[in-house]
Amino acid sequence: MNILRTGACLLILATIGSAAMADSIFPYKARSTVLPNGLKVILIPMDSPGLVSYYSVVRTGSRDEVEKGKSGYAHFFEHMMFRGTKKYPGEVYDSIVTSIGASANAYTSDDITAFHLNFAAEDLEKVVEIESDRFQNLSYDLPAFQTEAGAIYGEYRKDITDPFAVLDEKLRDVAFDVHTYKHTTLGFEADIKAMPEGFDYSRSFFTRFYRPENVVLVIVGDINVEKTLKLIARHYGAWARGYLPPPVVQEPVQTAERSVAVTYTGRTLPILDLAYKGDAFDPSNTDFVAATVLGELAFGSTSALYKKLYIQEQRVEDLDLEIPFRRDAPLFEIGARVKKEDDLPAIKQEIEQTIAQFQSTPVDAKRLSDVIRRRRYGFLMRLDTPDRVAGGLAQIVAITGGIEAVDAYYSALSRVTPQDVMHAAAKYFVPSRRTVAIVKGTAQ
Amino acid sequence: MNSRTRVIAAMLGACLISRGDASVRNSTTVLLPVKNDPTVSVRIWFKVGSEDDPPGKEGLAFLTAQMLADASTSQNTYEQILDKLYPLAAAYEAEVSVEMTVISGRVHKDNLKVYYPLLIDAITRPAFAPQDLERIRSQALNYLESTLRYSSDEELGKAALYNAIFAGTPYGHITAGTVSSLKAITMDDIRAFYRAHYTRDNLVIGLGGGYTSSLLEQIKKDLAALPPGVPPEQAPPAPAPIKGFTATIVEKDAPATAISIGYTIDVLRGSKDWYALAIANSWLGEHRSSSSHLYQFIRGARGLNYGDYSYIENFPQGGMRTKPPQNVCRRVQIFEIWIRPVPAQAGHFALRAALREYRNMVEKGLTKEQFQLTRSFLKKYILNYAPTTMERLGYSLDDRFYGIGGSHLARFRAMMGTLTLADVNRAIKKHLRYGDMAIAIVTKDAQAMRQELLDDAPSPITYATHKSDEVLAQDKEVAVFPVKLKAEDVKIVPVSEMFK
Repeated sequence: MNILRTGACLLILATIGSAAMADSIFPYKARSTVLPNGLKVILIPMDSPGLVSYYSVVRTGSRDEVEKGKSGYAHFFEHMMFRGTKKYPGEVYDSIVTSIGASANAYTSDDITAFHLNFAAEDLEKVVEIESDRFQNLSYDLPAFQTEAGAIYGEYRKDITDPFAVLDEKLRDVAFDVHTYKHTTLGFEADIKAMPEGFDYSRSFFTRFYRPENVVLVIVGDINVEKTLKLIARHYGAWARGYLPPPVVQEPVQTAERSVAVTYTGRTLPILDLAYKGDAFDPSNTDFVAATVLGELAFGSTSALYKKLYIQEQRVEDLDLEIPFRRDAPLFEIGARVKKEDDLPAIKQEIEQTIAQFQSTPVDAKRLSDVIRRRRYGFLMRLDTPDRVAGGLAQIVAITGGIEAVDAYYSALSRVTPQDVMHAAAKYFVPSRRTVAIVKGTAQ
Repeated sequence: MNSRTRVIAAMLGACLISRGDASVRNSTTVLLPVKNDPTVSVRIWFKVGSEDDPPGKEGLAFLTAQMLADASTSQNTYEQILDKLYPLAAAYEAEVSVEMTVISGRVHKDNLKVYYPLLIDAITRPAFAPQDLERIRSQALNYLESTLRYSSDEELGKAALYNAIFAGTPYGHITAGTVSSLKAITMDDIRAFYRAHYTRDNLVIGLGGGYTSSLLEQIKKDLAALPPGVPPEQAPPAPAPIKGFTATIVEKDAPATAISIGYTIDVLRGSKDWYALAIANSWLGEHRSSSSHLYQFIRGARGLNYGDYSYIENFPQGGMRTKPPQNVCRRVQIFEIWIRPVPAQAGHFALRAALREYRNMVEKGLTKEQFQLTRSFLKKYILNYAPTTMERLGYSLDDRFYGIGGSHLARFRAMMGTLTLADVNRAIKKHLRYGDMAIAIVTKDAQAMRQELLDDAPSPITYATHKSDEVLAQDKEVAVFPVKLKAEDVKIVPVSEMFK
């Protein structure tokens, strides 16, 4: 029966992508295949003798937590995925992972829940078996669920001693009105506290989101493509469709500046954060692509402002602009830890003057090409192990459903002009789009 | 070559070691060539660390290293260096531990020509510019006064443990020093420290990836320009013995309670007993492994925290990494249990739980099943320890430090095939002990915690959730597990006094 089903699946496998384009930045050949049930499999053979990295990318993160009072469930669910199935209960799953010496873990962010294992190539079949089993047949009882809720609270408690974690929590809450980026991936503390009561909801989370159309497998390393595809088809072929996209409400356009004062229990240098409503990741959006180089040009280690404030005058401990790659429009954040509290207004003014300059004056072409060059080399140099290749692709896979956007982004990046950068600066970095957050500690 | 052999060869690295070169007298070269690697990895190891900090100048080794790797040279200002490095997507950095300082970097071959002179200048021609020192010192002070005291109770607890165990020895302070010692360090101190320790006779050149032989010759020649001299070697630390249990309670406004426990052990990587202990330790508390016993007992069954681990080697920044670091070697190591923050009301219970489970292992050893499963786990798991050339190069330097002929990782794997259950249980009896241990606790109500420890009163625990009869029965024993401390052995330190 199994053999017949497998054969049927293989006949209608549709290969949608093959060797990368001639001018591709990505140095490995990738084979992208979609099973009839919608599960996409991206296989990347790589010269990594005997090692394989196996990522199951669920295209669901804290962004998908649309129900009130249920923030933090994507992350909670990541934990529950280790509680096992009827065939392989949690302790059996653990002992299999242990016996093959795999390095296994998982993480959750705004748009993604990723499960990853690194292991010896000879154990691929066993890994396909246990991973396909838990994605289709996860089973846990109420006590296990409630015990794990305790571990989640423990994770929150260990993280919240960091002033940046406190900032992130408060900033999102003020900056967003309706979009789910309003809460952090760990979730609102009140929701974490109430998690032990959410057993039934957690089950629906599994049935709605852990479906083949919403999952992409990225397998990199010492693999045989054809054999791996057969294995995948055999073990995942019967997984039923049923993904229900959550109604994520887009944030309305912000029309006026907001601000939030954040109190950190403890000692920290004051933190200034200017958070602007940005755009979602989109390689075809020139403004977005240009914004991704603005961080280095205006605030990075080679920028005039960084040299002035960090190296020469030593008024800040750090300074940066972060442009996250996200499925929906996130915050583009300019952050600085300021050495003296009464210098906060002046530092803010310095940042604003820099923005104004980038909005009115085209950036030096040589600097722009340096930044683009660094981005390309930096990307390439990170691709040196199967885990880093798969891990480096996971976020783009979660956002776009494939890896084609990697080439699209780097290709668009190479075309960015000084005028584009100016346009992006003028579009995003205006007061009406921003929330100004200032963190101060209670201890001196 | 079959898949199994290839994986070992690739992951454990065939390493060439040559001693006594004409141009770099008495130094050692550690080479790890990797065909087809488009990048070059460099690690230059100077045999100096925070143990060499003079009294009152703790943090000097750290500041000196940063004045090389994160500051101006006589050829370029710091700003010029940042400008030149930026388009290369490359950098170099200095990492200082108790006994080692390693300046390392990785660069694409295309960019080596621009990169290499910057790296060599950093080591051989530091400018020691006052402005750089103020920037670096300010960062170090902020790390002590804000980051370590307030933003990571886990690292704070571990620092408190190490400082307590090694008090009064050259190991008895963290690499970044103290607030007052950092402020006392002058540029003259840094210059003198550099002259004494950054000599051509006190370094090992580590080179890996797609380098050429001419690059190796160039590095040897350039580093030979450093002055000669072999600085005096510190004697290994001899900390005061711990009697019974001692506790340092760091009081701060913490949302939860972090606990570390430890004592010095007399076994180092390379010896057969170390690998036997590695199996026992992995079963008890493999770092970030959900299969290990402490994790299962405290987190898996009871949900008290995020994780619970144990170590037989120093493992700094454990919250930030999943695999062991390289180049943090020490001649004296501790056995360490790390309990990540638990709710304050469960602090005493978690301490008892960890000690009880640990004592069980020390007294009973591993069972055959535990031994076999852990051994097969480690045999493959260690392949994940060093997937990159840079990491393998780090391990190769560590092999030099510990005097391991060949490769530690290769020996580790081989040992997993030959060690027996009897070897493991014998090593546990010989090197691990129950009692005479130091405890460090970071918590909000230090007085209450102190009283609980002095009274050794029961610490029952309740759950909002259903627990199995087995768990509840264990809890009854844990709640009264004796961990008796005497008043003179429990010290309370306000967080503002830490690293003062």
